Amino acid sequence: MENQKKDISRRQFIKASAIAVGSVAAIGIGVKYVQKYDDKADFQKILRPPGAILEDDFIYACIKCGLCVQICPVQAIKLAGINQVLSYGTPYINVRNQACDFSCDSLQCVETCPTAALNFVQFKEEGEKAVEEYDKTHDYKNPGYNPFKSQIKAMKEAVKMGTAIVHEKTCLATNGKGFKGTPRGKDFKGIYRSPNGKEAKASPLATKEFDREICDLCVTECPIGEIAIIMDKTESEGKVTFKPKVLDGCTGCGVCVMVCPTEPTSITIEPKKD
Amino acid sequence: MFDLIKSGKDKTPLPPKPMEEMPHVKLGIDYKKWCDSQPHRNKWRYIRWSVLIFMNLLFVFSFWLDLSFLEGSLSGSRLFGFYLMDPFNSLQELFISAKTGHIVHLTTNFFIGITTIVVFYFLLGGRTFCSWLCPYHFLAEITEKLHNYLVKKKKIKEHKFNIGLRYVFWISFLLLAFFTTNLVFEDLNPVGIISRAIIYGPGLILLWVLALLLFEIVYSKRFWCRYVCPIGTTYTMIGKLSPLTIRFELDKCGYCRDCQTVCLVPHELWFVQRGKATQQVHYTGSDCTNCGLCIDTCAGEALKYVVKGFDKF
Repeated sequence: MENQKKDISRRQFIKASAIAVGSVAAIGIGVKYVQKYDDKADFQKILRPPGAILEDDFIYACIKCGLCVQICPVQAIKLAGINQVLSYGTPYINVRNQACDFSCDSLQCVETCPTAALNFVQFKEEGEKAVEEYDKTHDYKNPGYNPFKSQIKAMKEAVKMGTAIVHEKTCLATNGKGFKGTPRGKDFKGIYRSPNGKEAKASPLATKEFDREICDLCVTECPIGEIAIIMDKTESEGKVTFKPKVLDGCTGCGVCVMVCPTEPTSITIEPKKD
Repeated sequence: MFDLIKSGKDKTPLPPKPMEEMPHVKLGIDYKKWCDSQPHRNKWRYIRWSVLIFMNLLFVFSFWLDLSFLEGSLSGSRLFGFYLMDPFNSLQELFISAKTGHIVHLTTNFFIGITTIVVFYFLLGGRTFCSWLCPYHFLAEITEKLHNYLVKKKKIKEHKFNIGLRYVFWISFLLLAFFTTNLVFEDLNPVGIISRAIIYGPGLILLWVLALLLFEIVYSKRFWCRYVCPIGTTYTMIGKLSPLTIRFELDKCGYCRDCQTVCLVPHELWFVQRGKATQQVHYTGSDCTNCGLCIDTCAGEALKYVVKGFDKF
């Protein structure tokens, strides 16, 4: 009697285990299928925060804790929903709503990541190199001595989230138009630190007024500067044409996308490819 | 020392207590009256719920009000800048990154986080996490009442499985992570999902949690927590030798089994049945979530929180 009971419960356990293993295996096959589909489809992947390692590694290295979301002072980083399927819970940046403007001055999101899904090592190296270079050329007894600034600059420039792409059809500059007013309206919530002004912190775009004969907001508001984007001015047959030109130094931070006054935006970010 | 670890289940049971040693006879009252003498005590439940809600709100307000007390979510967080890591998540992470070579990049903070959590929950009884912190447990504890009601009204049938099923799931999910090089479990994990939903805002994935809760209501009581959740299983393993448990004293017990009825993991209270106890004093095993429901309900106060080895003083 006792043995028979044991036998039944063992049989039930084996049956339940088989269902358990089977269902987990089915999930595994589903995931493999989605991964294969993702690889085949050449659709644009979501834009990752600064320092993100290659997408294939990022997807497992990120444990979805959201520390990078919490530390970002401009709240550019959000967590993806289930509509991103396997990327659920991982961080991304929607630059049109809120770009990464580097006003944290230290790449805190990279620093805070415990699993190195956002890898800090390369930025640290760049920063140290920059300080070394700075020390060679600058006198530390000088009252204006500030290696921190050059360190931050070097770290910023080492970021590679993606590259900006200008869409000439709608771009105001290529169409020879100017811009006057506030780019995204008074209700827009995005903030950034203007590189030209003397702002210590990021301030709302809605409070800023511009007046340009030829719209060049993407060029003047770029936190990286002239190694990332310049206004290309060409003269042919007495006709002057303008065109924003994205260079290799572009980090993909997306401030240009956020400030672009046209609707839809005339400049977008292509996330870095593996 | 070794006696403190062993459950004593393999020993021959002590004979049931004679009538004159039963607590109600000693007090000289009716048995039923004695059983009902502590029916509505909720001390530990309220303490526990307060801690659970407080800690989860601490996560929320640390983000909303930028307080930096407890940043992150339940899968990884920082307490005053000190990292804490979910053990099962970290284990998967270690497995996958060992395969791909990412392991060399993992930060010191990551390892500090795992060590802290393992030591902390070793001292506090492993599954203590479940009933004192886990937001899914909180929801499941409430929906469990609905399930019990439906069973009582005979609207549905209770389905029980072997408790060893969770080890099958534990290994399966680890292998799944390893073979897909993806933290798939985190997409299904109601603990992480709810934690992220309350901190960063809700999403469609909450439907999955709702489906789980519905399944638990209509089919099997506490299905996820008892038979699946690998996080809980990891905490069971961590708490195997934990000093903090609940102590049972046979001479105060009246064999009413009220404690087993309210218990979230009734197999841990196997010794409260008449004629099952093998020792005068028993300790609950590592499946016990230290929720304190049994302590609240016990009429004879036979159950108590103790630190093993120090309870004799």
